[in-house]
Amino acid sequence: MFDSLYIAWKYIGYNKARTATLIACITLIGFLPISLELLLDESEHQLMSRAVTTPLVVGVKGSALDLVMNTLYFGNEVPELMTMAVSDRIMDTDLALPIPLYARFRARGHPIVGTTLDYFEFRGLKMAEGQQIAVLGDCVVGAGAAEQLGLRPGDDLVSSPENMFDLAGVYPLKMKVTGVLHKSHTSDDLAVFVDLKTAWVIQGLGHGHQGVTVLKDPTLVLKRTEGNVVATAKLYHYMEITDENINSFHFHGHIAGYPITAVIAVPYDAKSGTILQGRYLSKGESYQIVKPEDVIDGLLQNIFRIKNVLDAVISVVALATVMAIILVFALSLRLRQREMETVFKLGCSRMTMVRLVASEILIIVSASGIFCGAMVVLVDQFSNDLVRTLFIR
Amino acid sequence: MGTMKKINIIKKVLWRSFLASVLITAVSDVSQAESDSPEKVTIYVVNYPLKYFAERIAGGHAKVVFPVPPDCDPAYWVPDARTIGAYQRADLILLNGANYAKWVRKVSLPRSKMVDTSAKFKDRYITAEEVVTHSHGAEGAHAHESLAFTTWLDFDLAARQARAITKALSRKKPKLHDTFQENYAALEKDLMALDGEIKVIVSKNKTPPLLASHPVYDYLSRRYGLNMKSVHWEPDEIPSAGQWIELQSILKQHPARWMMWEGEPSRESIEKLKSIGVNSLVFNPCGSVPGNGDFLTVMHQNVDNLKPAF
Repeated sequence: MFDSLYIAWKYIGYNKARTATLIACITLIGFLPISLELLLDESEHQLMSRAVTTPLVVGVKGSALDLVMNTLYFGNEVPELMTMAVSDRIMDTDLALPIPLYARFRARGHPIVGTTLDYFEFRGLKMAEGQQIAVLGDCVVGAGAAEQLGLRPGDDLVSSPENMFDLAGVYPLKMKVTGVLHKSHTSDDLAVFVDLKTAWVIQGLGHGHQGVTVLKDPTLVLKRTEGNVVATAKLYHYMEITDENINSFHFHGHIAGYPITAVIAVPYDAKSGTILQGRYLSKGESYQIVKPEDVIDGLLQNIFRIKNVLDAVISVVALATVMAIILVFALSLRLRQREMETVFKLGCSRMTMVRLVASEILIIVSASGIFCGAMVVLVDQFSNDLVRTLFIR
Repeated sequence: MGTMKKINIIKKVLWRSFLASVLITAVSDVSQAESDSPEKVTIYVVNYPLKYFAERIAGGHAKVVFPVPPDCDPAYWVPDARTIGAYQRADLILLNGANYAKWVRKVSLPRSKMVDTSAKFKDRYITAEEVVTHSHGAEGAHAHESLAFTTWLDFDLAARQARAITKALSRKKPKLHDTFQENYAALEKDLMALDGEIKVIVSKNKTPPLLASHPVYDYLSRRYGLNMKSVHWEPDEIPSAGQWIELQSILKQHPARWMMWEGEPSRESIEKLKSIGVNSLVFNPCGSVPGNGDFLTVMHQNVDNLKPAF
């Protein structure tokens, strides 16, 4: 047997291109369904684990999937905005703790998530270094975002304008990084967290500027009456919140009217959760309350339907590949007719030829198995990041 | 002999067993008591009245912290990063509402722990009269809203603030609900007694014109129907010539015979006011920890000080 393996090894070593092609085909046929299965399992795990730990999400009626994807994974699709009054309404019911979220803006490609400190406690996010957000303009970054952007406590991070061509729009805000979170292996790793009020400052709803009632420069005042001062566009708005100018930052109107994208409602008990859901069932209700678990489950059902189609395609391709490999071997046997005659003249039996071909197949399949195994291990190793990069982000 | 020895040994064993069982029971009782004793709730507040209310309602079941230094006005005090961290870690954060302690709107505090004690009567907030609106950008004219914030000087509102504290405490420690309710009832009784006293005083003479050294008595005025106008004088500062002129012009329209001060005014101010026929009385809003006594004693003193004016 060893002799056959040696001769087979020498033969396939001589026909490098043919061997490499065969190994690549078999490797891919093994690797594709296994890696797909691995990635789908991981995405199911990631999607569901975050969904099941988020009891209820309240948002404007519309796409429940967009609402959940934005609330749980800070996806690019921003759901229709609602006001803080929705959060206050939940608070007033005494049925659940509302955690408002405003995930609309971005900083160097990473989502800026405006929320309250309750979010950190709810998600069990702990500081790896630095301090929690304390004042307007502070931010804490997820471990992944900190790594990718090279940020540490004490550094600055500037919010990105929503639209490059909106020159009169929102000014970017220079935020101070006060802390970096421990890795949580969730979407929180890639996010930049700020207080809701800071998110509103980014939007321009809260702002700091020179005191308009004490302006001396006449070019800054358009009109001044006893009860009103109209400032010109020259009035300087601060783009960074510092100890010196923080007192000039202010919000107009009632906070209840300020925008948010969603509210995570954490019921105090199961009964409260059910009652709360019941409050959003009426026809005239403008808001929806969804269980992220149900929404993600629906999404996964669709994914699995697609997976079944993919599985069928892969099966057909695999069958075609196996047939092609058989053809390759059959043709190679014909090409090796003279070689076989020499083998028989040397006094070898037909079984020797069978052993030679079997050894070749064994070596090729083993090599494919090794490559396939290595690639599967690699995918398994990085499946967490791959899923978040390919599917969830 | 042998029998006696055996009896003695049995007696000793029984006695030791008894002692051991008593000891074990005692130790287990102590550990049981320790595990039963609930941990104190840490409460951070933004002014002294809330501290007083919380302490009265919680009894010994809470550690109430009011970190504002005695020489600072809590309404305008701003905490440092360390103190903000302490507020963030507290079990409950009691806020006065009505834009009191503006720093709250500029820091990050957990909403689950924040209790706006005046949230239930937002519709009864008083908006300050002197507001300059301004416009810049697309948002049109707006004012930096200025609300009167000494809500607790209306003792009915003060009781409602105390009720909000009771509710928050009961949610934190449901087992102590009855204790908190009992303590609240006693506090409410005290507050309503003060309310009744002022009503009796005021009912003698409903509309004598009064002056306030500072616009901090809006809720007091509204509740008890006082006819009051305010200036912006500090008790420890001698009013400037301009301020005297302003007062004279107010007196022409509003011939007040008494001025209410937040603190003891200077001798010179008292004398000068007296010379124009205006007497002085102190009605301490008690936003900060008083030098002597507590909220209730200060308010009783205020009520006594009020009597000569009616």
